[in-house]
Amino acid sequence: MQNPKIKLQSWLTAIVILICIFFPIQSFSSDIQLTTSVDKNILTIEDSIELSINISGIRNPPIPKLPPLPKFIVRSTGTQSSTQIINSNMQVSTTHKYLLIPKGEGNFTIDSVVMNLSGSTYQSEPIKITIIKPNSIKSAENRSVYTETSISKSNPYINEQIVYTFKLFRKIEARNLNLSMPYDESFFRKEDLGKAKHYSMVVNGVTYDVDEISIALFPTKIGESTIPPSMMELDLINRIQSNRQRDPFARFFNDPFFGRATQSKHKILSTKSIKLKTKPLPKKGNLKDFKNIVGQLSIAATVGKKNLDEGNTTTLTVIVSGIGNIMDVLFTNLNLGDQFKIYPDQPLFQKSIHGNQVGGEKIFKFALVPLLPGKQFIPSIKLSYFDPDKNKYNTISTNPINIKIKSRTNIEELNLVQPKKVASQKIDSSISILARDILPIHSRMGDFKSVTFDKSRRIIYMFGTIFPIVIYLIAAGYIRYKHQMNEDISYSRRQEAFGKAKDKLNHLSGSTLESKDFVRNLSQIIREYIGDKLNIQGAAFTAKEVEENLNKNTYAQDKISSVKNLLEKCESMQYSPVAPMNEHGLIDETTELLVKLEK
Amino acid sequence: MKIKKLYIILTILFSILISTNQVEAQKKNISSQILLANKFYHEKNYTAAATIFEELISQGETNGYLYYNLGNTYMRLGNKGNAIRNYLRAQLLLPRNENLDANLRYAINQTQDQISPPPGGLITGILFWVDLISLFEHFELLILCNFIFWCICIASLYYRKSLWRSLKKISITILLVIFFSTGIKYHLSKKTLGVITDQKVAVKSDRNTQNITLFELHEGAIISVGQEDGKWVYITVSSDKSGWIPIESISF
Repeated sequence: MQNPKIKLQSWLTAIVILICIFFPIQSFSSDIQLTTSVDKNILTIEDSIELSINISGIRNPPIPKLPPLPKFIVRSTGTQSSTQIINSNMQVSTTHKYLLIPKGEGNFTIDSVVMNLSGSTYQSEPIKITIIKPNSIKSAENRSVYTETSISKSNPYINEQIVYTFKLFRKIEARNLNLSMPYDESFFRKEDLGKAKHYSMVVNGVTYDVDEISIALFPTKIGESTIPPSMMELDLINRIQSNRQRDPFARFFNDPFFGRATQSKHKILSTKSIKLKTKPLPKKGNLKDFKNIVGQLSIAATVGKKNLDEGNTTTLTVIVSGIGNIMDVLFTNLNLGDQFKIYPDQPLFQKSIHGNQVGGEKIFKFALVPLLPGKQFIPSIKLSYFDPDKNKYNTISTNPINIKIKSRTNIEELNLVQPKKVASQKIDSSISILARDILPIHSRMGDFKSVTFDKSRRIIYMFGTIFPIVIYLIAAGYIRYKHQMNEDISYSRRQEAFGKAKDKLNHLSGSTLESKDFVRNLSQIIREYIGDKLNIQGAAFTAKEVEENLNKNTYAQDKISSVKNLLEKCESMQYSPVAPMNEHGLIDETTELLVKLEK
Repeated sequence: MKIKKLYIILTILFSILISTNQVEAQKKNISSQILLANKFYHEKNYTAAATIFEELISQGETNGYLYYNLGNTYMRLGNKGNAIRNYLRAQLLLPRNENLDANLRYAINQTQDQISPPPGGLITGILFWVDLISLFEHFELLILCNFIFWCICIASLYYRKSLWRSLKKISITILLVIFFSTGIKYHLSKKTLGVITDQKVAVKSDRNTQNITLFELHEGAIISVGQEDGKWVYITVSSDKSGWIPIESISF
């Protein structure tokens, strides 16, 4: 059984440890120490120093303040924290690391690093540093890495292209290369000359890997100038030969992934500054159009259409190509005589690298509107430049171009508004828009009818909506009736009974039959009508049978008795020897009866 | 009795004749006004031309070409806001007029904000003809489809064949689609588009000049007009750009 006191003590210890580890607020110790150290005190200007500032006895200390270090480039390389517990004694420390890159030679002192903590100030001891020149005795053949810079010409003309080249020679592997090639922007204009070149070169019997990068500089001012030193920062990788040569896994562990096989060393290599003297161009003589173009140039001109109508446009294309400051070529106030109206377009410059020099092609487009019909010619376009290689001025020119202008037959206004673009339509490069404007007003008077949603339009719309429905309903009723008439015999008999009877009555009234035949026919018409109405085959039924059938079909009693009486009356007149007869009265009586039965 | 009937007929005929003459006279007057305004325009007297066009519109004349000509006149006067507003009005009546489209594009390009009319969205993307056909044409198309549908109904009732029943189904589908698109067009025509007429307008977060200025719009910017509140109106440029501006700064 464990002692409860010991148990409680161990629990408290654990809680205290946990609080110390995880409690975010600084936990103070009585012996806070701030120390600084460097990896070396004496170094060359090509090397760098690692400054470590160690703060122990405190968790999460504030970042100490570095002293002013004007002679160094200072870079932070990270912070490390460590916690050690030895015999329940906990030690915490934080290390801030800085990379100091010297800017010049001499003896320097890194002053005390100061840290303020809760009113107390902690400071480290100053450190003395000596920066010496690189070992000049050490010949190039013994050096693992070195740099060189050069310029193609130290005494160039103003605006002449010079090539500034930086070369890195190295025997060993290098990583994280960072090159800075500063230049005086007030004195030069810079143009890139493409990506770096990589090749091997033998220097004094030693093979070096060479990385070369060049830029083109165009001096813009006359006089002496200096290209400041270029600076290359890199990490040199030294591979350490281990004792694992016999080890079958040696190759595997020599991989840089396992840091023990390699060792990196940060280096800063700077070159010497280069002085150059820019001289003015020689005297121009009679050249009036010279516009500070220096290099080797050529010129060509073409036109889009050589045969065109008066008032139409053609495009004159002038291409200047070669090496030098072609980007500066301009044709302002191009003079082609009075026979053309000229509309210049924005020139287009396409840079290209020729060998190790920058050049290119500058394309000028001019829309020409001929003002006079007949044979016209575009005169030569001249361009003067200075050739620094031949040390003389040159004037190049295009060939004159003949064009034929046809007279305009009818005069019409030039539409100056660009039509609506169609995505798939290729725009003819020879057509250039001269100006943009709105299209003209509408003047066809027939189109100015007022379009309003007024009463009459509403009525038309409503009529247009309802009318087809009404037509449909009428047509549907009629079609249904026709279908029923064709398919349902009893229905068609019923529907046609009155019409048939009426026709027959009309026919009978116009006939000259004897009275007995008249009465028989009349009785027949009535019986046929009843037969049609009740869908009874034949017409040979008595008045009593008619009464029975009418009763079955729920006819009104007065109608039934009227029918019965009329039929009996006809029968009595038919069989009586002498009967006074009013034929028209009988016809009318029958018609009235039929109308009564139809209701 | 006969004299009374004759009197009525004569009265009706006379009144029809008078009203026809009045309409004709009015039409002639409108035509002469338009001719005069066009003449002023060609003579570069744009102010006089704009006044006549505006008068005709205020008298109730609604015509796409009238709005188009007024838009052109305002463009010549350098009043891009009113020009764009009238082009937009004209576009509702003349949706397929290329000259109008070109001038509207040109006018929008001349503005600082270069805001085009808001797109229709998914439904108008599917019903692609909605933007190409005016509301009146939609109604006419609807009436035509309605007439065709009922004719097919009558034919299918009469002939009672499967071909006519299929035609009936197709025509009712077309009729419903046209009905739907007419509804969409009607809804879109009711959606109020406005155009900024002031040189520069500060769009505020609320109805007060003291409120925060969210963004600024310039003359000719096309905006959707929402709720009105006294001297202020709520406008929307896009889903994330909306706010209040003084009502006198826009034309809608």
